[in-house]
Amino acid sequence: MDITRVLVANRGEIALRVIRACREMGIETVAVYSDADATARHVRAADAAVRVGPPPAAESYLNIPALIAAARTSGADAVHPGYGFLSERAAFARACVDAGLIFIGPPADAIERMGSKIGARTLMEQAGVPVVPGRTPADQSDAGIAAAADAIGFPVLVKASAGGGGKGMRAAHDAATLAEAIPSARREAQAAFGDGTLYVERLIQRPRHIEIQVFADAHGNAVHLFERECSIQRRHQKIVEESPSPVLTPAVRGRMGKAAVAAATSAGYRNAGTIEFLLEGAGDAAKFYFLEMNTRLQVEHPVTEMVTGTDLVRAQLLVASGQPLPWRQEDLAQRGHAIECRVYAEDPSSGFLPQAGPLALYREPDGPGIRIDSGVEEGTAVPVQYDPMLAKLIASGETRDAAIARAVAALRQFPILGVRTNVAFLIRTLEHPAFRAGDLHTGFVDEHLPSLLEKTEPSELVLSVARMAQSSRDVGASAATGVTMAAFDPWSRLEGWGR
Amino acid sequence: MSGTQSVLRGPAHGEFLVRDGDRVTQAYAIVAGGTTWVFHDGVVYEIVEARPSRKGHRGAHVRSELTAPMPATVVAIKVKPGGEVKKGDILIVLEAMKMELPVRAPADGRVEAIHCQPGELVQPDRSLIDLE
Repeated sequence: MDITRVLVANRGEIALRVIRACREMGIETVAVYSDADATARHVRAADAAVRVGPPPAAESYLNIPALIAAARTSGADAVHPGYGFLSERAAFARACVDAGLIFIGPPADAIERMGSKIGARTLMEQAGVPVVPGRTPADQSDAGIAAAADAIGFPVLVKASAGGGGKGMRAAHDAATLAEAIPSARREAQAAFGDGTLYVERLIQRPRHIEIQVFADAHGNAVHLFERECSIQRRHQKIVEESPSPVLTPAVRGRMGKAAVAAATSAGYRNAGTIEFLLEGAGDAAKFYFLEMNTRLQVEHPVTEMVTGTDLVRAQLLVASGQPLPWRQEDLAQRGHAIECRVYAEDPSSGFLPQAGPLALYREPDGPGIRIDSGVEEGTAVPVQYDPMLAKLIASGETRDAAIARAVAALRQFPILGVRTNVAFLIRTLEHPAFRAGDLHTGFVDEHLPSLLEKTEPSELVLSVARMAQSSRDVGASAATGVTMAAFDPWSRLEGWGR
Repeated sequence: MSGTQSVLRGPAHGEFLVRDGDRVTQAYAIVAGGTTWVFHDGVVYEIVEARPSRKGHRGAHVRSELTAPMPATVVAIKVKPGGEVKKGDILIVLEAMKMELPVRAPADGRVEAIHCQPGELVQPDRSLIDLE
């Protein structure tokens, strides 16, 4: 069952992450690309690259026949799905196996079991894992959904039964907002997952989002790699993740780890997965509820790698090739603190609207304890067709304060120009007193939004830099020219603001 | 800017060295279209040439045209020409990057014309609907 050549069925930073792990293990890689990504970094990094279709994801990165054909013609013997796209599609895992390829992930039936929210809940209840009150109504009409919400009690969350990532998720505090939420949640679910079935559950107020990384092999071993706190979210999508959680006590951490392993085992799980929980309350009395299982590698997996000193992608490849897990539970410990900030092309002051266009200037920071996982470079045009995440900045340090300080310093040295990003927003989040105090909940961003969006007026020096950039463009000055700007008049025609 | 402040071009594209008294820092700047983007001390500034304010910009009894904020697909049109709308009503639902973006009425008014169709891919700043 040796793996010698892996087709990476994804794009961007996660494709590069998988390609790097393969290279370190002496495994060849095949990248796939849509026409929008023909010269992207992941294409150049792989040993071979195959076009799978035009830019729309449905015709390229979600095109199962094209991906299987690419694996076959390129001589791959295994497929890594990354995250997003087809990573949690049982049909894709099955198509790989049917084509004689190793799927680097869980078995198709485990994806199916955990992919259906209703099935996963039932399974968790049987395994003794606590769940949030909720259901997928058999009657999927607007009236059927509304009746389910009444029975559960407001406030409720309406979300896609078929997937995660916050797509198709809506909160409703009463019948009127619910009526508005249902059709749009259904359309978004249909667009994102090809399945408009909706799930309704009780909205737990001021919860923390804490998830446990689990890993299981084909020899009956299953371990957890502790928690990640992912309470900082916007539009129900995580933007800052850290480990350890600033509030979890050893007793609660132990209970959650045990529950997560029980959950994975009851699902017949194999390879890397994440059990997401909502945490209510604090101290040893804090309660946790199973939210869902992500049957794939997570975006935020580096946080776990940094505090446990592991390589989760390497472990994925080992387990997929039939080897036992490289660690026993007693080998694993959390050391220091790690925090990940997701850098997005988006405009926080317009409701985090995704942005597209060329990255005219893009320079990544570095330094001790800083890891950048990215899939873009200067000149890359951020396409409209895909998720607009540009990079993950992961900072680690001996303590939470040290990790935060490193993350802030690195974000302050991360110039990205030409497309709006959330960098300034991330800095304000990390510097917020409530964040520093570890006072987190999933509504943190909404609660503190105005202070997180504050803008800085450009100083006279900043305006001088702008003038100089403009004048050097106008006259085509050579890069080595030095000009002292002190004699210039103020640039009265211009107005500016900082983001 | 005082005599102790100066800006020098740096060695690489878009790089500038900023001297402020005895402190020398690095700044980055590029010009793209009508906007000059500057990065200094961890803050991005978008500096645009001042323009006269656009006609019909948000106000009662004024025509306002609503545009797509980014390339997007029209998934639903919630109103009909001539229909009355209240501030905050959803007029059109766009979808981009798998997320829905509702276009809401900026003020009470009446729909004068609709310039898009469900399923259509619309470009930024393209007029979608006129309100009166």
